[in-house]
Amino acid sequence: MTTASTLTPISKPFIAEPSDLILVTGAGGFIGAAVVEALLDLGFTNLRCFVRATASASKLRRRLSQHSRGVNVEIMQGNLLSPADCARASAGVSVVYHLAAGRGEKSYPDAFLNSVVTTRNLLEALVSTGFLRRFVNVSSFSVYSNRGSRDTTLDESCPMESHPELRGEAYTFAKVNQDKLVLEYANTYGVPYVLVRPGHVYGPGNLPMSGRVGIDTFGRFLHFGGPNPIPLTYLNNCADAIVLAGLHPLADNEVFNVVDDDIPTSRQFLRQYKHSVRPFKSIYVPHAIAYLFCWCWELFSDWSDRELPPVFNRRRWHAFWKKTRYSNLRLKTRLGWTQRVSTAEGLRRYFDACRAENLNA
Amino acid sequence: MLKVAIIGCGKIADAHAEQIGRLPGCRIVGVCDREPLMARQLYERFPVEACFSDVRELLENGRPDVVHITSSPESHYGLAVICLEAGCHVYIEKPFTLCELDARRLIELAASRGLQLTAGHDDQFSHVARRMRHLVQQGYLGGTPVHMESFYCYEMSQSTYATALLSDPSHWVRSLPGKLLHNIISHGIARIAEFLTTDNPSVIVHGHISPRLRSIGEEDIIDELRVIISECDQTTAYFTFSSQMRPALHQFRIYGPSNGLILDQDQETLIRLPGKKAKSYLETFVTPLSLAKQYSANVATNVRTFLKRDFQMKSGMKCLIERFYASIAENGDPPISYREIVLTARIMDAIFAQLTALKVDSVKTGDPDASPESPRANLCIAGD
Repeated sequence: MTTASTLTPISKPFIAEPSDLILVTGAGGFIGAAVVEALLDLGFTNLRCFVRATASASKLRRRLSQHSRGVNVEIMQGNLLSPADCARASAGVSVVYHLAAGRGEKSYPDAFLNSVVTTRNLLEALVSTGFLRRFVNVSSFSVYSNRGSRDTTLDESCPMESHPELRGEAYTFAKVNQDKLVLEYANTYGVPYVLVRPGHVYGPGNLPMSGRVGIDTFGRFLHFGGPNPIPLTYLNNCADAIVLAGLHPLADNEVFNVVDDDIPTSRQFLRQYKHSVRPFKSIYVPHAIAYLFCWCWELFSDWSDRELPPVFNRRRWHAFWKKTRYSNLRLKTRLGWTQRVSTAEGLRRYFDACRAENLNA
Repeated sequence: MLKVAIIGCGKIADAHAEQIGRLPGCRIVGVCDREPLMARQLYERFPVEACFSDVRELLENGRPDVVHITSSPESHYGLAVICLEAGCHVYIEKPFTLCELDARRLIELAASRGLQLTAGHDDQFSHVARRMRHLVQQGYLGGTPVHMESFYCYEMSQSTYATALLSDPSHWVRSLPGKLLHNIISHGIARIAEFLTTDNPSVIVHGHISPRLRSIGEEDIIDELRVIISECDQTTAYFTFSSQMRPALHQFRIYGPSNGLILDQDQETLIRLPGKKAKSYLETFVTPLSLAKQYSANVATNVRTFLKRDFQMKSGMKCLIERFYASIAENGDPPISYREIVLTARIMDAIFAQLTALKVDSVKTGDPDASPESPRANLCIAGD
């Protein structure tokens, strides 16, 4: 188990000086707040934290109070749908960590509005400042398509989902379009970017179980993952990777997947969850049956003119429940990232938090 | 082939594009949003011929026969005027306009140009709502409704829209005269308006911010509303909007001199309540048995509709659009009477005026439970 940050104040030649202004959007969120803390731990002293909600601003202010000595942390409240707010947020910034996004949206337009339109507004504002050294767009594993070979390794060379609108997930649709937009701005305006794509980021603060393990939509937990590795990354490990991607000189115009070492299989994860948090009954659905289920659902959805929305479909099966290995090689070799919190420790903290919530429920 | 356009490419526009796509004899010639990216995402996901960010360009290039306005409520009136002046029939999402006066003006403009209008009260055209209307028209109630109860609840914790609204002090919904209520309650009010027989009912309102919303610092959004609507010596109605009561009902009850009906929108069930009771103790056995039988019959009806592939989430919208297009083709009556549209707007105006007065009074007195000094929207004196 390692607990010390691998991002100790560094003599490495980062692209930004400690006093350079760094913007973190979505700074009040689960990952955003950890990114802000990682930057402060690293010695950066001039941060602008952009948050949308009043409650998030207060929460972040409390959380950062211990870091307040000698640093300038501005908590800016606004809405990235407002070009004026984007201009305010962008003024004078060197590095941007863009984590604000529409999460949990079921509606495609809402997810698109809160991920793509907001990103466009921010990029428009940044292009006109002339100070920008790097734009870190925090994306997701969900943008990948791994249809094709039977047993795949998912890494940065995998293609993005070609028809994200057919995946049945508004989030994927928005994230694919957000990534495309960043690439468009890089090509058109030369915006220096990095795309960071984390797997399932877990830890106290984000307790819902990954859908890659299974679903409880039908009253009984259906375990779809079986022997598949679950691409987990503990909050602080992910935050370290994001921070490095924004500062490392060799990261420009690259894509980095973020996943921890020694990740458990779905079966191991579920067993530990039941043992550590609460026992419950689950039904294992073998891969072939899960595929058939998704295919039948898709066919019925088409036949019935979408009486049932196509939330289960073969594209989703490939992305979520097909046996896939995950690589963090590029993150390690290019950026020198190492895992700060071991998977065993991360899972222990996560299960403890789940148990506490379960007791309070 | 009817040429259709959609203005406003947010969440509800998806439902419109989907339902229009189910209808034969029409095509979507263009979609428009002042945010080009939003227009583009709709264009890319549905069979749409073009996308625009300027309404006049859409109207000039697409030359639609019908325009669906699905933008935010404060833009409805202005956009509808432009579309009507361009010779298009217009379907306007709810709320139809921000006030009764605007609703009247649009109806006059449409009439002067021989065009049709309708409001997005699509819940009125769900399978179950149509079954209820049919029964009422057949005289099941035994006369003019005596009393109605309309519940239209809203689970804020389940809605990303509500989360966005509550966390954003500059959210567009806050600028509407009735704020959150303005954007939601017209479905529940329209159900009552359909069965009112006069045009000037009295409206008495009580509204407050729920303790849960107050606990998170919300001081602007009223999420608990109770309304009494009454016509002099005739029909009365209660309307309930709540974000806190469970179950979060979407229910309509209507009682006549002979019988009553209960419509549950979420379950798609319609229950007949016979006025005649069984004798003595039999009532405790016969009536529950009869209700059980009715619920079973509702299940069977829903399964049949499902198997006929006509049970989509927004099948009411499909029916409303179909009837609207038919009324255009045949130059017939619109699917929702203009009287009902205006009356819905009038009742909503009265509700928001009283809530505003209530708020002013509570600010003056410092008492959040203060009663409004201003008179009720329409004071109805017995014997008028």
